[in-house]
Amino acid sequence: MIIIMKMDAEESQVQETIKKIKDLGFNTHLSQGENRTIIGVIGDISSIDESDVERLRATPYIEEVVRVSKPYKLVSRAFNKEDTVIKINGTEIGGKKIVVMAGPCTVESEDQIINIAREVKSSGATILRGGAFKPRTAPKDFQGLGEKGLKFLLEAKEETGLPICTEVMDTRDVNLVAEYADILQVGTRNMQNYALLKELGKCDKPVLLKRGMWATLKEFLSAAEYILAGGNENVMLCERGIRTFSDFTRNTLDLSIVPVLKAESHLPVIVDPSHGTGRRDIVKPMALAAIACGADGVTIEAHTDPEKAISDADQTISTADLHALMGEIKYISRMFGREI
Amino acid sequence: MIVIMKAKAEEEDVNRVIDTIQSFGLRTQLNLGAERMVVAVIGDISKIGEDNFFRIRAMKGVENTVFVSKPYKLVSKDFKKEQTIIDVGGVKIGGKKIVVFAGPCSVENREQIMEVAEKIKKAGASMIRGGAFKPRTSPKDFQGLGEEGLKLLYEAKEETGLPIVTEIMDARDVNLLSGYADVLQVGTRNMQNYTLLKELGKCDKPVLLKRGMWATMAEFLGAAEYIMNEGNENVILCERGIRTFSDYSRNTLDLSIIPAIKDESHLPIISDPSHGTGRRSLVLPMAKASVACGADGLLIETHPEPDRAISDADQTISLSAFSKLMEDLKQIAKAVGREI
Repeated sequence: MIIIMKMDAEESQVQETIKKIKDLGFNTHLSQGENRTIIGVIGDISSIDESDVERLRATPYIEEVVRVSKPYKLVSRAFNKEDTVIKINGTEIGGKKIVVMAGPCTVESEDQIINIAREVKSSGATILRGGAFKPRTAPKDFQGLGEKGLKFLLEAKEETGLPICTEVMDTRDVNLVAEYADILQVGTRNMQNYALLKELGKCDKPVLLKRGMWATLKEFLSAAEYILAGGNENVMLCERGIRTFSDFTRNTLDLSIVPVLKAESHLPVIVDPSHGTGRRDIVKPMALAAIACGADGVTIEAHTDPEKAISDADQTISTADLHALMGEIKYISRMFGREI
Repeated sequence: MIVIMKAKAEEEDVNRVIDTIQSFGLRTQLNLGAERMVVAVIGDISKIGEDNFFRIRAMKGVENTVFVSKPYKLVSKDFKKEQTIIDVGGVKIGGKKIVVFAGPCSVENREQIMEVAEKIKKAGASMIRGGAFKPRTSPKDFQGLGEEGLKLLYEAKEETGLPIVTEIMDARDVNLLSGYADVLQVGTRNMQNYTLLKELGKCDKPVLLKRGMWATMAEFLGAAEYIMNEGNENVILCERGIRTFSDYSRNTLDLSIIPAIKDESHLPIISDPSHGTGRRSLVLPMAKASVACGADGLLIETHPEPDRAISDADQTISLSAFSKLMEDLKQIAKAVGREI
């Protein structure tokens, strides 16, 4: 349930409303927009008495009480009309900005990540991505360098100034990864790892939440809700392809979800055409299509020598191709009144 | 199997190859490319036998022979490198200009179709679409005006000069529809109606083939092959969304197939964001994304009063929204080196 305060409601009236809600046994979440203040009611509102709702509705300084039947609330546009803009070391994600995250699937060595980071930086991309903890299909596959990989990423950051986005897979690693990374990524397989989502809700780093390859729109937004409900409001949603019968691509990139997420939620939306297609040759057109339908950014797997990449070689573009792609992304972004 | 001739091969070399292949009771199709000539062998190639196969390969002027293991050959780039451009009464499909087919789901009455034709013409559409024979889910639903609808479409064409695209559902109707329409559309449900496809292969009208909502890329191209195999080379492919678990849209518009087909086939491919999303609000952003990833055209459902449309109201945009869409697409077309 959300309570929309009247435009001229005073601070004391907001506090009074919060107290009323707390007296009913619920927690609250306050959202102060430019034009209006909204109070989110957290907890199982099915137990709330209808007469209490009516009393709230009748309060003169309350504009409206909306019972949100959807399984998410804090992430919804109804709760926060303005786009969430996430600030990371001077880089902004959301709003007018288009963010490009680029880097290898896996951090392989110090030289590899530093060389790639330099190329990412000179291409004009704004965030370095790379996996240190890897969710590989087979337990015998290379599982990533772990903390050593994080250290290499940090070196690459010191060298280039690029903030780091890397995946966290285990609740016990959240603090460790947060020490090094600027953005913590939740991979598709962990989209409904609720223990992990709750832990990330308590952390002060922005989270890039990838859509589960099986997840409906509601399930995806509900997963984001878990993080926001824990107190972390800096969540980016990432479409990365869903599982379908169609077999010419690794996944089916469901780009239509971009305008739907933008309408339904205030959170920034990022698209991953690398995993979404699994094919190097169509990463570029799908990255451009993502920007064209309203995405706030893309994440691209790039490597100085894609053929030799330890993982995801088929979908990784060369850093030379990344330079060319950045040129086109900048051009198309400007046409939509956006900037890198 | 295809026989690739040397760049310097002479006409008599090609004729000798064709005669040899035909002597085994097989048919041939010659493609005169700008760089090289290719002879496609149509029929059961096991009739040739291994010895004779090597004999063909050794013939004068032959560069190579390729066994195409895919269920398609004539539609593939192996057979014809150059992009196919289909000319429909001066409208060129597959060229630099992005073609837009617009109109109502169903032809309802004279007033409706005339108003649509005038307005879409003014907005810059290339062709008018409208169903006279309708494949509706329930047999009790409105099944279309039939020939009466075709006559109304023809009147609209005479008034505006816009060529007509309309759906064909029954092999017995090919001659009837060809008398009125400029492009015959095969709907998603009939993508593997092989008797219909064969009949269309024998007709002289271009065919707009919609992807079956269950079809893989190989099956889709295999269906196009049926039409080309009978001699009709003018096939336009159309992505219109596939069936997936994702439930916020009517179908999942699989845009990645556009660049993938551009790699694989020389045929033009267009996108149908109306059926692909089933949601009015998503038609514009997904039309933009389609153009950004390389579509040669768009199919858009539009109606003077979308809320009163007999069928597909939820995905049909108003005529004023259509005009705005055409304006908005200009920039994005320019960004990818096309025009609209």
